[in-house]
Amino acid sequence: MIEHLLTPFHYEYMVKAILVSGFIGGVCALLSCFVTLKGWSLMGDALSHAVVPGVSISYLLGLPFALGAFVSGMLAALAMGFIKSRTRIREDATIGIVFTTFFAAGVLLISLYPSNISLKTIVFGNILGIANADIVQTLIISGITLVVLALKWKDLLLFAFDPNQARAIGLNTTLLHLTLLTLLAATAVAALQAVGACLVVAMLVTPGATAYLLTDRFGRMMVIASVMGVLTSVTGAYGSYFLNGSTGGCIVVLQAGIFLLALAFAPKHGIVASRIRARSSAAARSGPDAATTLVTEATR
Amino acid sequence: MSDLNLTVRGVTVAYANGHVALRDASFKLNPGTICALVGVNGSGKSTLFKAIMGFVRPMRGTVRIGGEPVRAAHKRNWVAYVPQSEDVDWAFPVSVWDVVLMGRYGYMNLLRMPRRHDKEIASRSLDRVQMLDFKDRQIGELSGGQKKRVFLARALAQKGRLMLLDEPFTGVDVKTEAAIIDLLRELRDEGHIVLVSTHDLGSVPEFCDECVIINRTVLAAGPTATTFTEANLTQAFGGALRNVRFDHTDTPGARANEFHVLTDDEGALVFDQDGRPARVHGRQPSDEGPR
Ligand SMILES: Nc1ncnc2c1ncn2[C@@H]1O[C@H](COP(=O)(O)OP(=O)(O)OP(=O)(O)O)[C@@H](O)[C@H]1O
Ligand SMILES: [Mg+2]
Repeated sequence: MIEHLLTPFHYEYMVKAILVSGFIGGVCALLSCFVTLKGWSLMGDALSHAVVPGVSISYLLGLPFALGAFVSGMLAALAMGFIKSRTRIREDATIGIVFTTFFAAGVLLISLYPSNISLKTIVFGNILGIANADIVQTLIISGITLVVLALKWKDLLLFAFDPNQARAIGLNTTLLHLTLLTLLAATAVAALQAVGACLVVAMLVTPGATAYLLTDRFGRMMVIASVMGVLTSVTGAYGSYFLNGSTGGCIVVLQAGIFLLALAFAPKHGIVASRIRARSSAAARSGPDAATTLVTEATR
Repeated sequence: MSDLNLTVRGVTVAYANGHVALRDASFKLNPGTICALVGVNGSGKSTLFKAIMGFVRPMRGTVRIGGEPVRAAHKRNWVAYVPQSEDVDWAFPVSVWDVVLMGRYGYMNLLRMPRRHDKEIASRSLDRVQMLDFKDRQIGELSGGQKKRVFLARALAQKGRLMLLDEPFTGVDVKTEAAIIDLLRELRDEGHIVLVSTHDLGSVPEFCDECVIINRTVLAAGPTATTFTEANLTQAFGGALRNVRFDHTDTPGARANEFHVLTDDEGALVFDQDGRPARVHGRQPSDEGPR
């Protein structure tokens, strides 16, 4: 039995996949705290799709995939910023237009100039078949992101929470905005390898959203999210060996499962907890110990 | 350091839609002053604050804080700001304590690690607004007045020499208002410049040394006693003020008994027959204040 459970570790590609997914999953999860609080989920989705043309061009030209992906992601972000500031079109429409345009261009490029990368790999990821060179690129990107977040998370937190105060104490908010955007594009590129363009946004949103249900402190939120990101990615990659299914699919389904559990049973912000609270205070208002409940509520 | 002053010279601000919200505004404030900024809705009070905060760049004119341009002054933590409707996400996962510590960021190292000194200042600031007991609350779990006080504590923790408060009294009960006024007085006595925008005209003569009356430009600026007059206010507010003349005595013809009540819908401002502000509030912040 144990022998059976250990089989994935006999294969080098499985070990690599598990480790790389875990690392990327953790970094994406850290960033997801900022993404959910800043309301950038759609932006994350857009960037992860917008990197596709860059990837196909890099493969055609034999450049590192991360470079092309990053450039095309940032171009998309700039295009969105430009349209938003120059026209009256709402942000969601802007994002919708820009990212589909980029994605379509990528699809078209790949179909016109077939290279050794298939559309399927980009869209759904292929962590099991990841080349060593790609692993290096992915690790470098995630590593830089991790370092920047470790050094600057408090500034980014203040920027997300109250940009005016950030500016009032002399922080460069434009730079912080660009930093966050760059990190988002970079992790979208890194996660591309693990789960593919379609599912990147899940890694960049779900852990943060889950942690947000579980705590009221940002520090803890980052810890919860990253633990969840690492664990689900490692387990997902490991489990996909036995299921013989898509690694990205496994990871994201696991994350969604944990999110649903948190949604239902989170101690304070969960559905069950609010139900119970509502019911008990309704009952108490009519009962004799109304005052006690009111006090409990006030101190919670 | 102690002679930090605020100079606004010929400031004109236009928004992106071409609307000129402020034209050629000028005034100067010296250390140890509480100054009221009054004007109708849309007269440009918040715009003036934004110009001093550097959120909008004046089309013409300059703002100098202690002789320095706005950005440089901010980098030195000279300016603290309490926003109008704190357009803050109240569900954000930060506690009262986190928010107040954010006021100290400018003094911390690049990793923003609070030293003992920062923590002491933060807890003293919370104590000054009587919110220390709430320090572990998530910020959404406070009443409107408590939220205001937390942001006031953040401004205190920042130790800004120039404090900008955009309508700190809106939605605040009389007791909290008195407590805030007491606090502002203490700040003035410590040599800070406090600039407060308010619609509570009644309290202005009570605690403000100077006032700036604006309506898309500075109509009048100077000591409250000579500037905050019925004539100036009527000019600034036009029909926006309720102006009631009372005379409840037996000799209605005699001006000597007449009172004029001006109100911008918050605290009423009462003038005596010569157009001088009269105190009718019955509120004595020194008796009623906390502590
Ligand atoms: N972002 C903006 N873009 C365009 N016009 C603006 C903007 N903000 C304010 N204005 C306009 O500038 C003028 C001054 O606005 P401001 O917010 O400074 O008024 P205020 O004196 O603070 O009013 P209130 O008492 O309601 O707070 C108003 O006419 C307003 O419509
Ligand atoms: Mg205003």
